[in-house]
Amino acid sequence: CLSQSPVQAGTTVADINASGHYAADAMMFTNEALRQAVPVSGRVVGDDGQGVPGATVMVKGTTIGTATDANGNFTLNVPNGTGTLVVSFIGYKRQEVPINNRSSINISLATDARALEEVVVTGYATQEKKDLTGAVAVVDVSEMTKQPEAQVTSMLQGRAAGVTVLGSGQPGAAQQVRIRGFNTFGNNSPLYVVDGVPTQNINDINPNDIASMQVLKDAGSASIYGSRAANGVIIITTKRGKEKVRVQYDGYYGTQRPPEGNVWDLANPQEMAELNFRVAPTEALYGSGANPVLPDYLAVGRNTGLMEGDPRVDPSLYNVNPLYTGGSGELGSFYRIVRANKEGTNWFEEVFNPAPIQSHNVAVSGGGDMGSFYFSANYFDQEGALMNTFYERYTVRANSTYNVTKNIRIGENLAYSIINDRQIGGGENVINMAYREQTIIPVYDIMGNFAGSFGTGLGNARNPVAQLARIGNNNGLGNRLFGNVFAEVDFLDNFTARTSFGGEMYSNSYRSFTYPEYENAENNTVNQFNQSAANGYNWTWTNTLTYKNTFNDIHELGVVVGTEAYNNFWNNLGGSTQGYFSFDPNFTTLSTGSGTPTNYSGRGEDALFSLIGRLDYNLMDKYLLGLVVRRDGSSRFGPDNRYGVFPAVSAGWRISEESFMQVGWITDLKIRGGYGVMGNQLNVDPGNAFTTYGSNRQFSFYDIDGTNMLTTEGFRKSRIGNPGAKWETNINSNIGIDATLFNGKIDLTADYYVKEIQDLLFNPEFPGTAGAATVPFVNIGQMRNSGIDASVTGHIEATSDLRFDITGILTTYNNEILKISNGAQNFDLEQRRFNGSNIIRNRVGDAMSSFFGYQIEGFWDSEDEIMEANELAEEATGDTAAIYQTGIGLGRFRYADTDGDGIITPDDRVILGSPNPDFTYGLNITATYKNFDFSTFIYGSQGNDIWNQVKWWTDFYPNFQGAKSRTAVYNAWTPENRDAIAPIQENVGSFSTSNVPNSYYVEDGSYLRMKNVQLGYTLPAALISKYGMGSLRVYVQAANLFTITNYSGIDPEISGGTTAFGIDEGNYPNMRQYLVGLNVSF
Amino acid sequence: CEDEFLEKPAIGALSDEVLANEAGVEKLLIGAYAALDGIGIGNWETDPSNWVYGSVAGGEAHKGSDGADQPAINPIATFNVDPSNGFLNLKWRAMYEGITRANSVLSLLEVAEGISEGEKQRIAGEARFLRGHYYFELKKMFNMVPWIDETTTDFNQPNNVDIWPNIEEDFKFAMENLPNSQPQVGRANKWAAASYLGKTYLYQQEFAEAKAIFDDVIANGVTSNGLTYGLVDKFKDNWDASAENNKESVFAVQMVANDGTNTIANGNMGQMLNFPYNSPFRCCGFYQPTLDLANSYQTTAQGFPMVDNYNIDPLKNDQGITSDKAFVPDQQSVDPRLDWTVGRRGIPFLDWGLHPGQAWIREQSSAGPYSAKKFIYWQATADTYADQSSWAPGSAINVLIIRFADVLLMAAEAEAQLGNFAQAQEYVNMVRARADRPENIVTTYVDPSEPLDGFTDVPAANYNVEPYPEGYFAGLGKEEALEAIYFERKLELALEGHRFFDLVRWGKAAEKLNAFFDYEGALLPDVEGGFFTTGKNEYFPIPQRQIDLQTVGGESVLTQNPGF
Repeated sequence: CLSQSPVQAGTTVADINASGHYAADAMMFTNEALRQAVPVSGRVVGDDGQGVPGATVMVKGTTIGTATDANGNFTLNVPNGTGTLVVSFIGYKRQEVPINNRSSINISLATDARALEEVVVTGYATQEKKDLTGAVAVVDVSEMTKQPEAQVTSMLQGRAAGVTVLGSGQPGAAQQVRIRGFNTFGNNSPLYVVDGVPTQNINDINPNDIASMQVLKDAGSASIYGSRAANGVIIITTKRGKEKVRVQYDGYYGTQRPPEGNVWDLANPQEMAELNFRVAPTEALYGSGANPVLPDYLAVGRNTGLMEGDPRVDPSLYNVNPLYTGGSGELGSFYRIVRANKEGTNWFEEVFNPAPIQSHNVAVSGGGDMGSFYFSANYFDQEGALMNTFYERYTVRANSTYNVTKNIRIGENLAYSIINDRQIGGGENVINMAYREQTIIPVYDIMGNFAGSFGTGLGNARNPVAQLARIGNNNGLGNRLFGNVFAEVDFLDNFTARTSFGGEMYSNSYRSFTYPEYENAENNTVNQFNQSAANGYNWTWTNTLTYKNTFNDIHELGVVVGTEAYNNFWNNLGGSTQGYFSFDPNFTTLSTGSGTPTNYSGRGEDALFSLIGRLDYNLMDKYLLGLVVRRDGSSRFGPDNRYGVFPAVSAGWRISEESFMQVGWITDLKIRGGYGVMGNQLNVDPGNAFTTYGSNRQFSFYDIDGTNMLTTEGFRKSRIGNPGAKWETNINSNIGIDATLFNGKIDLTADYYVKEIQDLLFNPEFPGTAGAATVPFVNIGQMRNSGIDASVTGHIEATSDLRFDITGILTTYNNEILKISNGAQNFDLEQRRFNGSNIIRNRVGDAMSSFFGYQIEGFWDSEDEIMEANELAEEATGDTAAIYQTGIGLGRFRYADTDGDGIITPDDRVILGSPNPDFTYGLNITATYKNFDFSTFIYGSQGNDIWNQVKWWTDFYPNFQGAKSRTAVYNAWTPENRDAIAPIQENVGSFSTSNVPNSYYVEDGSYLRMKNVQLGYTLPAALISKYGMGSLRVYVQAANLFTITNYSGIDPEISGGTTAFGIDEGNYPNMRQYLVGLNVSF
Repeated sequence: CEDEFLEKPAIGALSDEVLANEAGVEKLLIGAYAALDGIGIGNWETDPSNWVYGSVAGGEAHKGSDGADQPAINPIATFNVDPSNGFLNLKWRAMYEGITRANSVLSLLEVAEGISEGEKQRIAGEARFLRGHYYFELKKMFNMVPWIDETTTDFNQPNNVDIWPNIEEDFKFAMENLPNSQPQVGRANKWAAASYLGKTYLYQQEFAEAKAIFDDVIANGVTSNGLTYGLVDKFKDNWDASAENNKESVFAVQMVANDGTNTIANGNMGQMLNFPYNSPFRCCGFYQPTLDLANSYQTTAQGFPMVDNYNIDPLKNDQGITSDKAFVPDQQSVDPRLDWTVGRRGIPFLDWGLHPGQAWIREQSSAGPYSAKKFIYWQATADTYADQSSWAPGSAINVLIIRFADVLLMAAEAEAQLGNFAQAQEYVNMVRARADRPENIVTTYVDPSEPLDGFTDVPAANYNVEPYPEGYFAGLGKEEALEAIYFERKLELALEGHRFFDLVRWGKAAEKLNAFFDYEGALLPDVEGGFFTTGKNEYFPIPQRQIDLQTVGGESVLTQNPGF
C-alpha cells in the first residue's frame, strides 16, 4: 500500500479540479484484494506518444484503480489476471482494455475534447458529462479565446447556447450578458463562479488562464447557487499545472480598422446651405442673395459669415486663450477667426483612426508528486480607434496545489490585475457630436486652436476632436486581487472535506479634468478637477463535505452538504475643485484649485449565509437523478423574511443504455428534465427595509437666511422602507436531450425551458402623491421566459490529414412581462430628446425594452387629404373643431388611428418593434490539414429591431442646427417629391414630425457577422526541437471581417441596459481587426 | 450569530426617531422650503416661476431656442397638450414632494418631544403655509387633485373633492399662528400667509373675503424681516439679488449662487435656459417675449396703455434684420417697464451692452426678436450673484411668489368687483406711479462699448407712463375698469408666471389667447395653430402617468379633466 502512495498522490494532483474536488473516486485497497493481487504495469500515452500523467486506470466493476505518474506509467495490483482496465483522462476518449493475463499493458488514448466522460464542474461538484441532468452548456474555451477581445464576456458571444451577449467596439466596455432572457427589471448579469468563488465581475480575468467554462442555465443545475442563481451561473475553472515544467508563450499583434467614408451620409456644406435656404435662410451665414453663398469665414470676432478681404478678418485682432481661467468674462473678450471648410469636414474620420491591439501571455506550469503550479503573466493593450480611448490590462496568476500527505491537499488560486483605461460614456456622447457638428466647420481655426459652432446658424454641437483632446489626461486605474485558498482532506474511504476561503479585494480610482471651452456655441467656462475612488472587499467561506460511493456496482451516489458565508463591504469617495491657476496635469489635484472643494463618500455592506445540499444518483448508468437545495439568508431582507429555500430536482434517462435502444448510429442518447426554484436578491438595496431621512446640499438645503450664497441644512424623507420584502421565486422547468451519434461524429444538445418569475422584486414607481423618496423593492412583478437552446457539433475526418469540426449554436428566448405593479401596466424609459415622451415601453404582455410610439402611415400629400381626415374626425368626435392629428400639415407624417376613434390621441401609440432577437446563432468551423489549421466563426442575430436615434438629429431640420443627412436634402417630402423618405423640412418641431417617438426610427437590426477567421501553421516538431521548443505555431487572423445587414447605421450590434436597449445614438462600432499571432511552448 | 451576521444597517441616513425633536423637525422644515425650487424632480419643468405654464402658455413668451428643443413645451404653448406630456407629470410630482416634506414636518411634530407650544405653532404654521402653496400650484394647474395630509397613510387618494377649503384652512392656520416677522427672512410670516389667503379667496371669486384680507395686509403687512409692505422705488430691484428681500417681497423662493455644490441646483436652475444665445450668458435662448407682449407696452400720448388696440400699430422690431445691418428702435412712446421686461435690439440690456438683436437670438425665424430680461443678473455684480458652474448660468435672483405690487393689483380687482372703483384705481395708480418714477427709466450708456462705465440721464427710448386721473375707473364702469386692472397686471407682472392662471380665473382665456394666436401665429410659426378651447383648456390634464399609477383593479381612482 505504501508503495502506491506516490502514484495515488499523482492521481489527486491531476484530477483535482478548480473547486478542489476529486474527478475520480477516492481509492483504497482492501487487504483481501492485496492478498490475491497480480501486478500489472504499463504506460498510458496520448496521440503524440507522450506519456499522459494523471490518467485514471481502473479495473472495471471494482474500486481498484490507480493513476499514472508524471511519465504516464502505472502499476496496479489486479485481483487476478482477468478483467478489464478502464483508462480515462480529461480530454481523451475513455478506453477499455482487457487484461488477458498480461503483466504489461501499454495503452494509447485518443484525444477527445468532447468525450462523454469529460468531467465538468458544476455547483460544488463535478460530474461526467454523460451524467448531467441539468442544462449545462460547456464552452469550447480554446475556440472562444481566439476572439481578440479585452473581455471574456465579449468572447462568449455565440459560443454557448442560451447565452446572449451584446456589446460595443469600445475597448473594455461592459458587455450585456444574459442567460435565457430576462429575470428581473434590474441587474440581469449572471453569477460567475471562478475556481469556486462567486463574483459579479470577470472583466479582469485573463482569457489565457481559463481551462474550462460551463454555463448553468436551469434550476436543476443552478439552484445550488440559490438566491444568486436566477440570472444563470457561469463556472470558470482556471488552469493548473501537470506533467513536466512547461513554458508557453501566446501573443498577437494587430490593427483595428474603423469604417471609412461618409458613414452617416451627411450633407456637404453646399448641400447644407441649399437646405437652409429652402427652409429658413440664415442670412448671417449664407448671405441675402437668391442663392446661398458659402462664406470664406465662419466666425470672425462676434460676426458670422465674412468673405475674404473683409477688414474684420485681420489676424492681428485674433485673440483666443485656449486655457483661459477668467470665466465667461474672459471668454467674452475672445476674437476668433475661423475659415470655412467648404469641402466639408468628415468628423467621423477626424475622431476614428486605425489603432493597434496586442496581447502577450507567458505561462509556466508543471506538476508532480508534491503538487502542481501554474503561473502566468499577461499584458493586454487595446488602443481605441476612437481618439484617446484605450484599455490596458496587466494580470498575473499563481495557482498551486501542495500534497501535504496522501490525503491532504492545500492550494490556492490567486490573480492580481491592474487595469488602466479611458472610455467614453453612452447616450449623447462625443460620437453623437461627430454627426451633429456641421461639416462646414473645420477642426481648427486659423491659429491652430479649435474651431466650433460659435457663430450664428452653426448649431450647438461641440467639436468632437476638441472634446476627445480634452479627455487626454483623464485616467482610470483599477486593481483587484481575486482568488482563494483551500484545503481538502479525504477520509473514511468515501469522504472528502473541503474548506475554501476566497474573495476579492479591489480598489479603483478615476480622475478627470474639465477644460473650459471657447469654440462652441454653448461653452463651459469653468475648469474643474474631479477625482473619485472606490475600494472594497468581499469574502466567501465555503465548507463542504462530499461523499461518493458505488453500491452493488449499480448504484452510484454522490452527496455534498455544506455551508457558505459571504460578506461584502464597499467604500467610495470623491470630490471636485474648480478654479485652477494652471491646467498642467501635474498641478491639478483636489487640493490645488482655488474654488470651493466638494466631496462625497458612501459605503455599504451586505451578507449572505447559506446551507447547501446536493445529491446525484446514478442507477446502472441509465437512470440519473439530481437533487439540489440551498437555504440562503440575506441581510437585504428584514428579519421576518430573511431566509429563502431554493430546491430543484432533475432527472435523466440514458435511453441508449436500454437494450431496446441498441441502434447502431446512436452512440449515446439521454433525455433529461428538471424543475426548481431559483432566486435573485441582487437588485434589492441593503437599505430596502428602512424608511429613512437624509439630506442633500442640492435638494434639501435652503437659503433660509436670504444670504444669496449660503444654504442651511435640511432633511427630507429619502427612502420609503419595505420591511416585508421577501424572496422572489424563479420557477424553472427544463427539458432537454443530449445525443451522440455515429460513434461520436455528431454531438447534439437541445433544451426547451420555461421560467416563471413570481414575486419578482421590483421597485415600481409610487404615485406622485407619495412624494419623491426612493421607493422600495416589493414582491410585485411577474415575468415569463421561454425558449430553446441548441447546439450541434460535427466531427468529420475527410482524409487522414484533413479534419473538420463544426459547431452550430442556436439561442432563442421569448420574454413576456406579466405584471409590473398593482396600478400601472407599464413603465417607460429613454426620452432622449423627446422630452417626456419615451421611446421604450416595458408593458405587461410584451417583451422588455419594446419600442413604443405612433405608427406612420405615410405623408399628408394634399390639402384635400388633410381636409378629408379632419372631416372624418369631426364626424367621429362630434366636435366641429376637431382635427385628425395635432400639427397636421402637408408633407408631415400621417399617423395610424390604431384605436379607430377617428382622431390621433396618445392611445394610438403602439409597440413599434423590439430589440429582442427572434434567435441568435453562432457557427464555428475548424479544419486541420497536416500542419495547417483554419477556423472561422460566424455570429448572427435575427429579428431584432433597432431604434436609430441618429436620424432624429440628421433627418429633421428643426432638431438643432447641426449637420443634416443627404436624406434631408434630397429625399425629404416636397410637393414635387411625394415619394419621399423624410418628411417636409421645416424650422419648427411638430407632433407630426419629430417631437414624438414614431416608427420613422425603427429599423430591422438583423445581421450576420464574420466574427473571426484564423489560419495557422504549426512548424514540424523536427525543425524546432533543436532550438529547444516543444511546439511553434504562427497564425494570421481577421476579426469582424464583414457584416451582412440591412441596418442603415454604422453597426447593428447595439447594447444598453436591461430594461432599455437597442437604441443607436452613435454607438462605438466594432472594428475590423487584422492580427498576426504566435504560440510557442518549451 | 447567524442573525447578527446578517444585520446590516442602512448607512448615510437617519430614522425618524433621531429627528423627532425640535432640531430635527426644524431640519425637516428647511427641507420643506428646499422643495420650493422644484429642482431634483425636474428643472425647467418644475421652476417655481411657472415660466412655461404661466407665461409661455399665457401668450407672454415663446418657447424659443431651436424648433425642436424641449418639444414638450410646444403643445403647452398651443393648447394641444395631451395627458402624456412629461412636463405636467414632473410638475405634479414636484408639488407632491413639497407636500410630502411639509407633511413630514407635521407628522413628526406630533410625536416630537421637548418643543414648546409656541414653537410648535410656528413650525406647524410654516409647514402648512408651504403645503398651502404647493396645493395652490396644483389647484390652479390641474383643478381637481387628491388631498394628502400628515394623517394620510394610503396615498392612492381620488381627486373627487374640491380642495379650496383645505388650502384656505392651511393659510388661515398659518396666518393665525405665524409671527409678524421672523428671525430668518426666508421664512413665511403671518402676512405672507394672509396675502396668500387673499389670493385664495380671489381665485374663488370670493371678493368680499379677499378685500377684507387685503385691506389688513395693505394696512398692516410687514415682511419677514420687519419691513412695512410697500413698492420699492426701483422696479428692477425686484430681480436684483443685491436688493432683494426688500419691502415688496411678500414671499420669495430664496436662491443662491456659488453655494459650494459646484452646481446651480439652488440657484435658479429652472431658468437656466432663459438667457440670450451666443451672448455673454452662452446659453440657451429660450423664453422669448412675444410680439404681443412687447406691443402691449405702447402708450398713448397721455401715458395710458392701449388696452384694446395695442397690436394695431405694432412696436417696430428687428425681425429678419441681421445684427450687422442698421436698426433704430421704435420712437413710439412706451411704458418704461417694457425695457425692464423685454430685451430688444438697441436698448441697454442691463449693464451688458446694447441688445444686438439677431446675434443673441437662437432662431429668430421660429420665435421672434426678443429676449426675456427680468431674471438676468447684472454684469457688475455677476461674480457674486451669478453662478457659472453649469453649462448655462445660475443666479441668486429670488423668485417672487407674491410681491406687494401683485397684492395691490389683486386688491384692486377685489375692490372693482365690489364696485369700489376709486379704491381700485388708487391701488392701480400706486403701481403705475412707481413705474413712472424717474429711476425706472432705462437710460443710455455713457459708452455703449463699455457698458460697465455707467449710464447717462438720457432715456433709451420714448418713455411715457402716467397714473390714471381721478374718477377714471368710475367713468369706465365695472367691466372696463376690470379690463384696465387686468391689463395692468399684464404689464406689471409680465414673465412672472401669472398670466395664464389670471386669464383663466377671469374667464378671459379663450378671448385673449385666441386673439393672441390669431395675431402672433400669423407672424411666427411656433404658435401657429394654437387654440384655446373653453371648457377644456382652463386646466391642464391630469398626468396620464399618475392616472396609471393610481389604478386599482383596472380602474384609476383619478378622474381626468374634461375634454382630455
